[in-house]
Amino acid sequence: MSLLEVRGLRAGYGAADVLHGIDLTVDEGEVAVVLGANGAGKTTTMKALAGMLPRRGEVRLGGAELGTRPDRVVAAGMSLVPQGRGTLATLSVLDNLHVGAATRKDRKGIAEDVERWFDTFPVLRERSGQSAGLLSGGEQQMLAVARALMSRPQLLLCDEPSLGLAPIVVQGLFATLGAINAEQGTALLVVEQNAELALDLAHRVHLLEVGEVAATGTAEDFRRDDAVRRAYLGF
Amino acid sequence: MTAVADRPTTTPAPRGRPVAPGRVLVRGSAAHRGLQVAGLLLVVALLVWASTWPLFRMGQLTNVFVLAIAIAGLNLVTGYTGLLSIGHSAFFGLGAYTTGVLVVQYGFDAMLTVPVAIGFCFVAGLLVGLPSLRIHGLYLALVTLAVGVAFPELVRRFDDLTGGAAGLVIRARLLTPPEWTGISRAQRGIWLFWVSAIALVLVLLLVRNLTRSRAGLAMRAVRDHELAAAAQGVHVARVKILTFGLSAAITGLAGALFAMYVGALAPDGSFTLLKSIELVTGLVLGGAATLLGPVVGAVAVVFLPYLTSLVAPGPVSGIAFGVLLIALVFLMPEGVVGRAQIALRRVVTVVDADHPALARTARDPGGPPEPDGQQPGPPPSTDEDQPR
Amino acid sequence: MDLLLERLVSGLTNGSVYALLALALVVVFRGSGTINFAQGELALFTTFVAWWLTTLGSPVWLAVLASIALGFVLGAGIERLLVRPVQRKNDTAVLIVALGLFTGLNALDALLFGTETKVMPSPFPNGLDDYVSLGGARLYGDALGVWVVLVVLVGLVSLLFRRTRVGLHMRAVADNPESAALAGVPTSRVLALGWGLSGAIGGLAGVLVTPLAPQQLSLTTMFTVFIAASAAALFGGLDSLGGAIVGGLVIGVLEALVTGYVPALGGAMQQTTVLVVIVLILLVRPTGLFGSRRLERV
Repeated sequence: MSLLEVRGLRAGYGAADVLHGIDLTVDEGEVAVVLGANGAGKTTTMKALAGMLPRRGEVRLGGAELGTRPDRVVAAGMSLVPQGRGTLATLSVLDNLHVGAATRKDRKGIAEDVERWFDTFPVLRERSGQSAGLLSGGEQQMLAVARALMSRPQLLLCDEPSLGLAPIVVQGLFATLGAINAEQGTALLVVEQNAELALDLAHRVHLLEVGEVAATGTAEDFRRDDAVRRAYLGF
Repeated sequence: MTAVADRPTTTPAPRGRPVAPGRVLVRGSAAHRGLQVAGLLLVVALLVWASTWPLFRMGQLTNVFVLAIAIAGLNLVTGYTGLLSIGHSAFFGLGAYTTGVLVVQYGFDAMLTVPVAIGFCFVAGLLVGLPSLRIHGLYLALVTLAVGVAFPELVRRFDDLTGGAAGLVIRARLLTPPEWTGISRAQRGIWLFWVSAIALVLVLLLVRNLTRSRAGLAMRAVRDHELAAAAQGVHVARVKILTFGLSAAITGLAGALFAMYVGALAPDGSFTLLKSIELVTGLVLGGAATLLGPVVGAVAVVFLPYLTSLVAPGPVSGIAFGVLLIALVFLMPEGVVGRAQIALRRVVTVVDADHPALARTARDPGGPPEPDGQQPGPPPSTDEDQPR
Repeated sequence: MDLLLERLVSGLTNGSVYALLALALVVVFRGSGTINFAQGELALFTTFVAWWLTTLGSPVWLAVLASIALGFVLGAGIERLLVRPVQRKNDTAVLIVALGLFTGLNALDALLFGTETKVMPSPFPNGLDDYVSLGGARLYGDALGVWVVLVVLVGLVSLLFRRTRVGLHMRAVADNPESAALAGVPTSRVLALGWGLSGAIGGLAGVLVTPLAPQQLSLTTMFTVFIAASAAALFGGLDSLGGAIVGGLVIGVLEALVTGYVPALGGAMQQTTVLVVIVLILLVRPTGLFGSRRLERV
């Protein structure tokens, strides 16, 4: 049984559907990547899964139907790092991390996790007392990832983590995401425009096209298939 | 590769645009003009009929007209431009006291005070609008609240001019209708009825023309998105201040007429914050940013207290007002007239002569004739599929 | 000198009450970005209930607690049932709901409790002999009591915001409701809690002001307090707890001094004077003297 099972997901804005029945799965400990052009519905998928949009269709996490309230989704074990990072700018870095632990009650565990992510992202420790709005873009992205991980999710959703960041920062970030997956066993579902980078990380790839999953396969499949590569991946 | 890739991409079915209306009426066409004239005749006929009513009933109607003018003033600033004012009671009061003081203390002819009241209120409105350059949204609402609260205090403070808390009585002798009307002093209610009715019609025509002009477009742009409006070259500050001035002037006109209608002014009577709330209620109930909303709202605001006092006396009308306001926001935020317009649009749509839709419908037999020499305008924008 | 001191004392006492209600306004604004125009009438309603309980023989302290509790329930209920459903539309919709509450509650008070002025007993010793002398001025028990309440409450509220999980969540929702929800904060519960807290503070302010107000408990008591409190909150930029406190005290003192020393402006013109000062402040600093950020979200 897969960790995340999505069947016939439909969602959109107002009367118009952007997603016309998405099917995808993420196994435990797996890194899944969603590729697709602008407007294919990648961000809409992430928002619908996280409970930020009304949706229809079946979404199960660990076999249980997932609710549609953002905080319940987090409590069930799935956290989203939103596009644009969603930093709580007026709160300190440390407060941002504590907000990420909103669904947890174990004080000791929370304190340990703060230390763990400070070890992973040392720059956050240096700036723990500063307002999060003062961080650089890359630092805010690290904070967003760390905050989402504070809820100890089984599955971490990342919506275009590379957006607006310098290439060197992006490489470091993806290395860290890979390490988190390897060490903690946290499954990842990553939306990414930078296909090459994403394929290095991915176990499984879903290709999204106009609100539907057009192809699913392993990263190797996608690299090998010249037609798909030229058409969708651009290299 | 587990290929669902070969499956042809199903394009989403084209969603229907809003259902085409039953009939299209071209603005300025014979049929449209005919309907307008018929409507106007109906209004005149109703007024003539109403002028045969007993004086008491006519007085109530005069009250409705006056309040409708005041609400129409508020509509400009709150409905069309989106600046919520809870200080319009002050403009209403300023207009009333201008007339009252000029008539009582300086012996002006009552009708001659009306332009003075309008002028004073216009300037006062510009001054109150001034903070809107720097102050936005809720802050501005609080500034207008301050104006509304301050007005009765000012009246009490300058009591040698205004009569203070004791009030200011305009003797009936000073309100005698002009001789040429042939209306006696005892019948002055009839005179005031016609004056208010004509003033209301003029105000509505002014509002109609203004809101359909470029200025009206600028007002709505400021309301819907101030930054975007500024980016499109709308002089936001000028629009806000002038709208405030004009709005205050219209409400001041209502105040001046009100002074003649009641004949006695007191700071705590009709010029407190409660008056502002009454005006807002009327506007929301009738329909903000609609032409006739203020008239419907005024009818409701004048007659509602009568209705509730039939059921139970005293404070119940206040409760009814409160409940009504809240219920409106939930059930009918577009107001009575707004709702009626939506319903009417299913039956008939009025469009400008250069509307692009006409080029399509012109091919249908029975549709309105294509305006000669008119090129179809640009296609209507289809920005509804953009994810936000 | 004694006179000045006494005026200062009375100004600070009134100012403390303004500060309390301003605190309630700020708590709502920080949580949901709106001004609760019905805050004063809400407080008046809970105070009337407290008064009614004392007429039934309830001890004053119990009536005060009841007022606070009722304020909490009403505040949270109003947010949940009346404000949240319309908040998505626009500011105007929320304001109109508040105006409806404003008129409706006041009329309800008149209907339930009558229009005549009432005497609300003070929760503090307020006999003629209950004072301590300070440099010739008399500090009466209820004035001292109000000051103590203000200090304690400000301490508690800032502790709540700075040191507790709930406070952290409230700050997170105020900063960015969407991000807070994505991080797992139950935003709807937090919002209702903020309004409840604000209603409770208002309930407390109401029972404290009425024994001090010259006209005692009447239908207009809280309106003047609300005007002063909203000015105080604006003074601080609507989102600053400290600003609201300073603003409330400054306005209280200003009023007392104007009434005492500028008879031309005092008494009848008291509110106008205060409001003119506030509008001038706003013109110079559109987000208040303590306002920390741009408040219009685009």
